[in-house]
Amino acid sequence: MKAILALLVALLVTGCAAPSTKTDLSAFQAAKPRSILVVPAVNKSLDVDAPNYLLTTLSVPLAEKGFYVFPVHTARTVLEQEGFYEGDAIHQQPPQALASLFGADAVLYVTINRWDAQYAVITTTVTVNFDYRMVAKDGTEIWKANKQMQYTPQNQNTGHPLANLIAAAVTAALTRADPNYLPLAVMANDQVFNTGVTAIPAGPYRAVN
Amino acid sequence: MKPMFRSMLAASALLALTGCAQQGLYDWGGYSGLMYQNYKKPESVAANLVTLQAHVTALEGRKTRVAPGLYADLGTLYLQAGDHNRALENYRKERAAWPESAGLMDAMIKNLANKTVEEKKA
Repeated sequence: MKAILALLVALLVTGCAAPSTKTDLSAFQAAKPRSILVVPAVNKSLDVDAPNYLLTTLSVPLAEKGFYVFPVHTARTVLEQEGFYEGDAIHQQPPQALASLFGADAVLYVTINRWDAQYAVITTTVTVNFDYRMVAKDGTEIWKANKQMQYTPQNQNTGHPLANLIAAAVTAALTRADPNYLPLAVMANDQVFNTGVTAIPAGPYRAVN
Repeated sequence: MKPMFRSMLAASALLALTGCAQQGLYDWGGYSGLMYQNYKKPESVAANLVTLQAHVTALEGRKTRVAPGLYADLGTLYLQAGDHNRALENYRKERAAWPESAGLMDAMIKNLANKTVEEKKA
């Protein structure tokens, strides 16, 4: 009993301590961005929908961190009007030009390295892997991160070997037919922006003072 | 275990688990999910627009701050549905709520105002 309590107290005390090997955030802190433009991602996966789906997961964590995040759907529409439909073409533009077009302090670029479901015997593993990069309006890179997340659905043990096998195969087939990448993308974003060693400083709407 | 002790234990366990989660700044009303649905099932866009508008209206009713980008993306959904007036109205609200949006919103508003004038001439 006492041990449990001690553990809980220890958790309470240390739970919020910053990770020891922090990323150098001096460039980010010097740039002090108030607003972030999230542009459509470069897609190296085979899923053509991945950039749009990923785009819907990025506003919330950055805004909750205290930044003004440009409306992603509006920004995407404006970029299309300018003739930019693909992440590749957008990422090749000078960041200064993009930032000034929108009046943004910083631009977030994401490259999707993996967004796939791999089938192996009777399991399916869903994987996402992203490179994140933030650049200030003067063109200086102020932050970067990489994150991979994987998920393999687990089955309940029915106690019957054949039933277990069939259940696993069905789960794997279902996962493969319609893999759900969004929870993985949301977790990856949360880790790079909030909880991991690359966590960014709070923005003006979250700042304590 | 005494009941009070048990509840104290439960409370501290809860604190330990949630203590580091930052308190949310905004009520998003399922914004991300709605935008995802818009891309995944384009036929659901009209219904999602209604849902997002209802959420924003409810926030305004409670005098609660609307999250960054919600007015603007709502405006763009109206624009894409052909409702220029409601698009303009929402771009103006985004601009008023968030000074950082001024550059983009002014451009959207100006562009739309020009378009509306051209349509009237035609």
